Amino acid sequence: MMKGYSRIWTVYRKELVETLRDRRTLMAMVFVPVILYPILMVVLMQALSSEKGRQEESEYTVVVPNEAHKRWLDSVLAREDAAAIAEQKAMEAAAQSLGEAAAGATGRAAFRTQLGSKQIHVVVAENPGAIWDVIAAGMAHAAVIVRPDPGADGVDHPNRVVQILYSDTNPLSEVIYRQLNIILANEAERIVRDRVTKLAGTSDVLSPIVTTNLSTTSPDKQFSKALALIVPFLLVTMTVTGAMYPAIDLTAGERERGTLETLAVSPVPVGQIVAGKFGVIVTIAMVTTALNLGSMTAVIQFSGISQLLSGSTSATAAIEEMEAEQTVRTEPVQPGTPAALQLENIGRRQALESAMNRRTGFVATAAPIVLLAMIPFAVLFGGVMLAVCSFAKSFKEAQNYMMPVMMSAIVPAMVVSYMPTIELQGPLMATPVANVVLLMRELFLGNFRIEAVVIVLLSTCLYAAAAVALATRIYGNEAVLFNDVGSYKTLLLRRFIHPQSLPSAAFALLTLALIFPVYFFVQSSMVGAGSDWMDVCQALSTTQIGLFFGAVVFLAWYAKLDLRETFSLRTPTAIHVVATLLVIVGVVPFSATMQQFLYATFRPTQQMEEMSRQMGALMGETPFWAIILVFSFLPAVCEEFAFRGLLLAGLKRSFGAWRTIIVVGLIFGAFHIYVHKIPPIAIMGMVLAYVCLRTGSIWPGVLIHFVNNSLGAVAENWAGSGDHRLMDLLGLPTGELETLDYSVSGRTMILIAVFVVGLVLMGMTRGAGHPRDPEETRAA
Amino acid sequence: MPEPIVEVHDLRKIFPTTTGEEKRAVDGVSFEVAPGRIYGLLGPNGAGKTTTLRMIAGLLTPTGGRVRLNGHDPQVDRESAKRSLGYLTASTGLYERLSPREVLNYFGELIGLEAAHRKKRIEDLIHWLDMSAFADLRCGGLSTGQKQRTNIARALMGDPPILIMDEPTLGLDVLTNRVVLDFIRAEGARGKAIILSTHYLDDAEAICNEFGLIHDGRIVGRGDLAALRAQSGRTRLSEIFLALCGEDQHVLSGVPGATDHSSTREVE
Repeated sequence: MMKGYSRIWTVYRKELVETLRDRRTLMAMVFVPVILYPILMVVLMQALSSEKGRQEESEYTVVVPNEAHKRWLDSVLAREDAAAIAEQKAMEAAAQSLGEAAAGATGRAAFRTQLGSKQIHVVVAENPGAIWDVIAAGMAHAAVIVRPDPGADGVDHPNRVVQILYSDTNPLSEVIYRQLNIILANEAERIVRDRVTKLAGTSDVLSPIVTTNLSTTSPDKQFSKALALIVPFLLVTMTVTGAMYPAIDLTAGERERGTLETLAVSPVPVGQIVAGKFGVIVTIAMVTTALNLGSMTAVIQFSGISQLLSGSTSATAAIEEMEAEQTVRTEPVQPGTPAALQLENIGRRQALESAMNRRTGFVATAAPIVLLAMIPFAVLFGGVMLAVCSFAKSFKEAQNYMMPVMMSAIVPAMVVSYMPTIELQGPLMATPVANVVLLMRELFLGNFRIEAVVIVLLSTCLYAAAAVALATRIYGNEAVLFNDVGSYKTLLLRRFIHPQSLPSAAFALLTLALIFPVYFFVQSSMVGAGSDWMDVCQALSTTQIGLFFGAVVFLAWYAKLDLRETFSLRTPTAIHVVATLLVIVGVVPFSATMQQFLYATFRPTQQMEEMSRQMGALMGETPFWAIILVFSFLPAVCEEFAFRGLLLAGLKRSFGAWRTIIVVGLIFGAFHIYVHKIPPIAIMGMVLAYVCLRTGSIWPGVLIHFVNNSLGAVAENWAGSGDHRLMDLLGLPTGELETLDYSVSGRTMILIAVFVVGLVLMGMTRGAGHPRDPEETRAA
Repeated sequence: MPEPIVEVHDLRKIFPTTTGEEKRAVDGVSFEVAPGRIYGLLGPNGAGKTTTLRMIAGLLTPTGGRVRLNGHDPQVDRESAKRSLGYLTASTGLYERLSPREVLNYFGELIGLEAAHRKKRIEDLIHWLDMSAFADLRCGGLSTGQKQRTNIARALMGDPPILIMDEPTLGLDVLTNRVVLDFIRAEGARGKAIILSTHYLDDAEAICNEFGLIHDGRIVGRGDLAALRAQSGRTRLSEIFLALCGEDQHVLSGVPGATDHSSTREVE
């Protein structure tokens, strides 16, 4: 068997070498990210800064009808300049008194102008009547006409109406007309303040309320939030693009070049060939993505854009407050007053900002998250593209298929990225692509939930496995090997399927991988916060009967499998019956003790304990008959058929006895993730797999499973009416989980010993249908 | 006479076509090949030769019948059956960006040969098939003859007891043709069971021990050259072929001057 897996490595190495020798791949993988991005960024920066420079150095011509206008407008501009200079000085003074953190706040407030009077030239028109045409023809940037004419009045300042002419199609004209609006608005404010001061002695009446805004989030987190919106989307796009070319080349390309037949004739199982190709696709996707992202990050770091995003809000806020102080007479600041609270908040904001300046930077914390998230994406898209491309007969056909695949990957990423209220809960945790995007967002913002990570990674891997299994099925299918033969009907219609006694590993895994999300969705949608026992029973019955039993048996029938062989529907021998009875005696003490041990060693999380409490409450409400039927009988039959039936049958051919037992146990445990009890359930799953393999019959396992589930319920029921003997005998815990000690009574130990004896007895004689061990196979 | 190592019994293949009808591509083909014998599977285009060979190699699933390669059924003991077989067709391609040596090494690894053994085998094959001049150049740049020799070497990597060769000399020049045929003859002498399918009837006549003529999915003539001559009443293999495949009656009958076959053919 070891030899078998080394061949996946052989295929992987050869495909990797061959792909890397392709110049196109190397160009796309290395040249584009490492060289192109820096060049693009440099060009972009140059363009932006030259644009800004041009704006700052541009000179603007404003025409006016007469000399009086010019004098008036020039004086307005001069006053604006003076005000700007005064404000600048005030800010610098405030910055000095506020300390280092405010040093960055010398940027002007948003409502101040950017242009100085030096850039604006006011010119008197030669022909006042033709001013409109002058502007329309683009010979000047704007025109200003004031009424009443500024020359007509004396020292007084009556209210005026100012008309500004400009041209939409001339960008400089647009700039100057907006600026003129701002300048004149500022002038209007100055005039108002003067008038009010003349009337009231002070212009305080004009500033009844001054507001300052402070964000309590550190600039790091704000940056994270921005990145959390962009990065997942970028990652999806890059991984998809990176996986695309190798996927096409290794599948459709192989067919086009005629090498597929050669490979099919070699004694390597199709599954291993596909696995090797899958590995290469994932590798190249990850390397491409890493190079792209690394290059982008380096470029952003070194070009200084990250500095742009760290605005210093505390200094601006402090300055605004100081201005407010000057216009409003307030009491001196005493501790405990709102004024003190306001000052304290400013101080805290400053502390956040200066703390950020000391940290190493965003990249160090973000990089691991990004690299971690890249893996499920690469795995998922690699698998899906492999499966889709396997259908294609030529390069061109494969490329046509890639477009919808890319869309179906990018659109969910985009949609989810831009919906801030979506949370990673319930069915979303198992939704492909969306779940990883949401998980990345959570990790960026610092929320780390182990269950979320596990479910997201697990479901993504299952989908990828299903895709690879599908690819295996397609690749090995003769309708696909030889283009001239048949159609896709041969892949799906039952009459073209050839009867087999046992399912292949790919078929079994594919079936379970498809069942997993359905199971998850049904559970999540049928069981919500306000469910009672009837809802839960309904949900359970549906998944057990419909999925684990119904779907599995139907698919086995459809694939023309030998049902007796696949589901081990045999009668166990007498010895095995005896062994089963021994196992039954000790199974509940065994599983109860094991759970105690695990809880004592690995303390469950708060969420797990909450779930257990809820389950316990629910079980308390459920009538006894329902517990036995829904929680014991149905799982005993249905889960055995699915896991120790189909899954076991599929794996035992290629994996050998012990590996099959372990894998079946783990997958069985994974399905119970909703109950937060994977390890004990996985171990039980292994025990049941062992039982089924050794006895060659599914029925002992069914019985053991039933007893395991129901005996506990029976004991609790009796304990509820006062009889604790059964509980003690079985070694079941009676208190809350937190108060458990790890201790086992003597009687419980005896029962566990009986259990072990039963298992050993089972192992001594093998039932029908047991796979041969690798040593035996090699010797044969 | 040793026990046959290739057993084909009542092999059938029915293809579902897109129109919904069925195509009986192979309709009850049976033959056996013993070690050291070269079996020529001959027939017109579309007769079912390639389909038969693919079923024997395990690439297609038979609709009916039985195949045994060295005792293994290719549908059941896939690996063991494929390990006993070296398969070569005109359409099998090579990996453009690898050299012949790398291709051979790859397939040697896939078969499971140990590194030292693999290296020796590659050197031997390169020597026997006269490949030293191009063994380390990329396959994409090789000529047809060089590619075919590489293909043959690839099929022989595992030194399998059974060889299936479908049009091994297609498109080759006379010299390379001779190299390949000598090689096949030598392998047969070394005890391999070889099934050869070719349109070059002169070559087939020269090296095959016995024949099977397929027409419309059925074997219409079998046995060694003497038996075929007796069955058909003709001498040369091409004549036998035409007679047994029933084509010489109506082909080109409408074209004046074309119905007289004797004139152009008998240049002995």
